[in-house]
Amino acid sequence: MALRFEDDFLKKLEYLHVVSKRAFAGQNRADRLTPKRGRGLEFADHRQYTPGDDFRHIDWKAYKRLNRLLLRLFDEERDLPIYLMLDASRSMAEAAKFDMARRIAAALCYIGLAHLDRLSIVPFGRGLTHETSPGRGKGRIFRVFEMLEKLEPSGPTDLRQSFKEFASRPRQTGLTVIISDFLDPGGFDKGLKILRTLGHDVMVVHVACERDRDPGAFGDVRFVDTETGDVREVEVTPKLSSAYVAAWEAHAAELEHFCGRYDIGYVRADAERPFEDVILKAFRQGRFVA
Amino acid sequence: MTFGAMPAPQAWLLLAGCAALAAWLFFRKLRPPRVLVSSLLVWQRVLDEPRELTLWERIRRAVSLILTVAIALALALAIARPSARSAAPGSSRGRVLIVVDSSWSMQARTGSRETRWERALGQARRLAASAAGGVPTALATTADGLVEGPTTDLTRLESALDRIAPGGGDAAAWPQLAGADSVHFITDGAATRLLAPGIVVHSVFEGAPNVAVTAFDVRASASAERAGTAYLEIVNFAQIPQDVHATITRGEAVVLDRHVPMRAGEAIRQLVPLARGGDPRMRVHVEAAQDALDVDDDAFAWIEHANPISITVVGQHTGWLRPLFAGDPDVRVEFVDPAKYGLPAAAAASADGQAPSSVAADVLLFDRWAPDEPPTRPAIYVAPPDVPWLAGRSPSRAWDAGDEKRPRWEAAGTHPVVEGVDPLTLTIEKAHPYSTDTLTAVAQSAIGTPLVYVSDGADRRFVVLTFGPGDSNLAAAPGFPVLMGNAIDWLVRPDAHAARTTGLASFDAAIVRLTGPDNRQVHLSRIDGAALAMLRAPGLYTAEGAGARSTFAVNVGDPQISNLSRTSLSRSDQARPVMAGASGRPWWVYCAAAAFGLALAEWWTWQRRITV
Repeated sequence: MALRFEDDFLKKLEYLHVVSKRAFAGQNRADRLTPKRGRGLEFADHRQYTPGDDFRHIDWKAYKRLNRLLLRLFDEERDLPIYLMLDASRSMAEAAKFDMARRIAAALCYIGLAHLDRLSIVPFGRGLTHETSPGRGKGRIFRVFEMLEKLEPSGPTDLRQSFKEFASRPRQTGLTVIISDFLDPGGFDKGLKILRTLGHDVMVVHVACERDRDPGAFGDVRFVDTETGDVREVEVTPKLSSAYVAAWEAHAAELEHFCGRYDIGYVRADAERPFEDVILKAFRQGRFVA
Repeated sequence: MTFGAMPAPQAWLLLAGCAALAAWLFFRKLRPPRVLVSSLLVWQRVLDEPRELTLWERIRRAVSLILTVAIALALALAIARPSARSAAPGSSRGRVLIVVDSSWSMQARTGSRETRWERALGQARRLAASAAGGVPTALATTADGLVEGPTTDLTRLESALDRIAPGGGDAAAWPQLAGADSVHFITDGAATRLLAPGIVVHSVFEGAPNVAVTAFDVRASASAERAGTAYLEIVNFAQIPQDVHATITRGEAVVLDRHVPMRAGEAIRQLVPLARGGDPRMRVHVEAAQDALDVDDDAFAWIEHANPISITVVGQHTGWLRPLFAGDPDVRVEFVDPAKYGLPAAAAASADGQAPSSVAADVLLFDRWAPDEPPTRPAIYVAPPDVPWLAGRSPSRAWDAGDEKRPRWEAAGTHPVVEGVDPLTLTIEKAHPYSTDTLTAVAQSAIGTPLVYVSDGADRRFVVLTFGPGDSNLAAAPGFPVLMGNAIDWLVRPDAHAARTTGLASFDAAIVRLTGPDNRQVHLSRIDGAALAMLRAPGLYTAEGAGARSTFAVNVGDPQISNLSRTSLSRSDQARPVMAGASGRPWWVYCAAAAFGLALAEWWTWQRRITV
């Protein structure tokens, strides 16, 4: 699949920026306010001068008026660490689904790069695979495209193990976006809790396709799990088919409910939905981007 | 139960085998399709949930199995062709003869919309199926006689049943089968027959209303204005009054178009004058609401005298013949000099400005002259000279010595040419005999001198008078116009008028070609010097032979056939009634239909996801 966006769409993306519910201090200067006081442009406060402070920041006008040495403080503007965790397990092998996941990752990358955020693309399956940091600036988007195009889904899904590995490496807290179908036999809750505990602002993009939501077959069918190769022979009746659809909706609702309870952003991205709709409407409604 | 396609043990084995195979295939099942899914996680959850099965879900597989086995059994039955064993034919040890009445009334529609004929075929099929297992069975119709068998092959009998059709026929005819100890006659009893004892009669009679043309004919007229008068008779055989629409057409022109209200059982008669000239084809058609038989709704007629007969008289002194033809509207005469006879049209035209029609004339009349070669057209020779093809005298006869002086013609004779001629009005001075093998004397003198000859060959027909106007009072004799009228009629119109109804008909031996309605050739069989043909459909037929042609009409119109409320079968005949409804199709047809229906039901329920 060639990951390319139309120029019009890219211009629309440039007007957006990824929203983080919390402020994180990055490493480099950028245009995001941080909780730190520093050498930004925005005046923040005064404080009493103490020996050793940079006297270039002394507010002389205040000294003349108050006869006290006060130091001017400014908001620090830094970049935002964004971790795009992309599920690259076999369960994402359905072409439409994985395509949607990669496009979402690419679009979020572009928005982040456009705003000088520090991006990391972290593919995962059973654990973390090759992590990539494209750098800063819009020009790096082609490296992102290249990297995403090379990505092939393989192996089983283990969210807990993957997030545990993610947590085990030293990294700045920031915004973590998980793009996955969340079809992990071990469950998704433990893994998401780990991320939450680390202090990351977590956002979940639930990617699904028609084949996940509906069995799409009737009669005696041999269902084969693409990740494990397990086989289950099922006599799919209309009633059973309805039960499956309901069970899948329950699974999605459970994920959404969990996210709501733990203050995790949730957006559902159906593979059949137009991609621009997902980014420009669903993501905005989910307050992922603004 | 018997099976038409195979012996019973084999058939039962086939049924058991098919049922077992279907059940085995059902339980073995085909390998289910493989469907790759992202994860079995959701399926696991669904299947782990305890679910209460409905009654249908519990029995669905059993129903599906039963359907599968039923389809297999129905197909096997369709192949084995079962039939219920009937007591009558099955009990026969000799041959079985099934006779189907093929009179036209069998085409009458019954209350169940099937015809008596279809009902009869159904009964015949049942009888054949029940008998054909081991008993040689023959099939016959009253029109065609034996049409199939005797055979034990049911397929041949069924094929013959598909082939036969009603075609009228002689009510007295009865097919014979040597060694038949069981004879079944399927009839509606419209035609009265004297049946031999022991014949089992199956009655397909069911009274039905009908309107029919019972008579339609054209009678010639002697007047110069009219070619004739058409006589039409229509009868309403229904039990209720009804409006009847009658249409008479002459060629394409409508002569009469009337709506006639008719009471129950009423007959109406109509005379329609017909002008000379124009199309000689006549047709009448009637329509009514209560009309169960179609074949008697149409009748045909041919106007013999619609157009005059053309006669070419060849001779030098033919004035004595002019009064004979003068004023006769049925003939058109042309007089030609012998020198111009046989010339090409252009040469003859240049000679006197008029083209002779001798080549195209219906009849040639040679007055005391004869061509060197006999013409192919019908001809009359009056005292012809001794041309080679007429000359030669037999030495063994009494008149060989020469012409007979004052011969006496005492009896008219029975040949159509001399029939009705009064010989006593003729005074003959001298008769000149001829001798060739093709001549037959139809009138002779007291001592045997031929006076009138006819030649009745397949290629040409002619009449020879051995005396002329110079040797007799021929021109003035009252018998002369009769003799000439007979001769012209015999020459121009081969005798085909006896054939007026469908069925086997006998024709004059001179007829070589018979064409039926829609220009279909009718096969002629020659037996004992007569031509026989089976006239299977009403309409206009044309008989040709000896250079002449004659058209005649064949009609069904007969009150005995058209009165569908009447039957000759009484209760005392112990005729077995054939029930309506079961159209007599063999079981295998229903088996095949059932298999198709069941397969359709299975497919439909699968489509609707009722069964899977």
